[in-house]
Amino acid sequence: MDPALRESAPRMDSAPRCQDDAILTAPGEHAVVSELQSMAYERMIPLNVSLELTLKCNIRCLHCYNFDRDTDGPACGSGEVTTAAPELSLEEIFRVMDELRAAGTLFLSLTGGEVLSSPHLFPVLDRARDLNLAVQMLSNGTLLRPGVAARLASYRNLLGVSISVYGATPEVHDAITQIRGSWRRTLEGAERLRAQGVAVRLKLIVMRPNVHEVGAMRALCDARGFPYLLDLTVTARHDGTQGSLAMRITEAELEGLYHGPLSDLIPSGRRAVDEAAFPCNCARGNAAISARGDVFPCVSVPWAAGNVRQQPFGEIWRSSPVFERIRGLKIADYPACAPCPDKAFCSRDRGAAYNASGSYTGTDPFVCAAAGVARAVADARAGEDARPVEDERRRSAPDVQLPLAVAAAR
Amino acid sequence: MTYKRDPGLPFQQLEEETIVVDPRTREVHLLNETAARVWDLLASSCSLDDLTETLAEEYDAPPEALRAGVEELLGGLREKGLLVDAAGAA
Repeated sequence: MDPALRESAPRMDSAPRCQDDAILTAPGEHAVVSELQSMAYERMIPLNVSLELTLKCNIRCLHCYNFDRDTDGPACGSGEVTTAAPELSLEEIFRVMDELRAAGTLFLSLTGGEVLSSPHLFPVLDRARDLNLAVQMLSNGTLLRPGVAARLASYRNLLGVSISVYGATPEVHDAITQIRGSWRRTLEGAERLRAQGVAVRLKLIVMRPNVHEVGAMRALCDARGFPYLLDLTVTARHDGTQGSLAMRITEAELEGLYHGPLSDLIPSGRRAVDEAAFPCNCARGNAAISARGDVFPCVSVPWAAGNVRQQPFGEIWRSSPVFERIRGLKIADYPACAPCPDKAFCSRDRGAAYNASGSYTGTDPFVCAAAGVARAVADARAGEDARPVEDERRRSAPDVQLPLAVAAAR
Repeated sequence: MTYKRDPGLPFQQLEEETIVVDPRTREVHLLNETAARVWDLLASSCSLDDLTETLAEEYDAPPEALRAGVEELLGGLREKGLLVDAAGAA
């Protein structure tokens, strides 16, 4: 029985290299969780699954990746996404959750749409508790009224909630959500939930309308004592429309951020790239299920491997040609990435690549540019670090892996 | 004295090992094959004697060593707050 019980450090991680699933991740390796994720990766166990409870949302974010929120719903599909079907019923969701449990899932991320606008949320939380699943939620926070926050806090299997924030001021945030008062309600909801003892992390999505507020957004989180994650990647929508890309920051703005308010988050030095493990956790330790039952390799890659209405999840997971293809990929199968000198600084964001190029092994020019800028900053810093005068602030900055989606811990 | 695992804790079996998550302490525990078997048995209230007897039927190991190992494991699980008393209270 040696060692029968191993203690972990007091921090929760989730899937490596996948920010959407790692909603409670803070920087730094956590030995036990890293080992679990490696086991899932090697044994191909769907340890982390995102479940989209609904596409409905009470705000209308301009950058939403689901569909154009100024329309009634996804009018067309990318060819890989089911659009002309009702959302999964509660009965269907329960069946899928049972299948997930049997397939090896432990970490269940509930997402939307807005999860709190789904009538299924609390029955699903009840079911997850009964199935001993650890739950994480993504929300815009505006519906976290006192009774709701208290009810959520009663779930002992709820690891925490990630709440999206799009500005340091109500003017900027509300212009993106197109709902007046949403910034105030979001932050009030976050405070209310935290006061109930639920772990809350803010997710700061950086876009053209708020790029000038990035420093202020970080300061807001620091002042209120919230851990946060920054995400600079806005992608095309899963319904195939491109309107969200107008919100994406330019390469010049990206460069300004990396040399300015985000410079302390760029890791110094070049990281080694494990070419044998170049493919990420998609379809190995991660999967996602859309509101209409499509099974994706991760929440940001709308490449349907099957649909839980036609096949049990476990069968899709084990034998889907899409998943088998992803699992068989080697670095040489990524034609632009394999020879790229910047890959040590690249987020390798498969969602961005897929949505930009239509190919899982393709690229997104924005991601490529970001890797190049991150390398340039790191190289310049390496030169500076050789000087006798050291910058203590930089040396104590969090050591982060992903220049496009950087996590900051308090 | 009897022992039972805390029914509110998330856990999952990954082939031979079992992962137990404690959201209150934000700790994750990895149980090896034998400890995972004990965790499985602790779905119902069990005494040290019950657990030792069951494991002795399943594993080719001296009962004294099994008992000592189970006792040590139970101590660790209890110290970590992963068990409830027989009445179900944490």
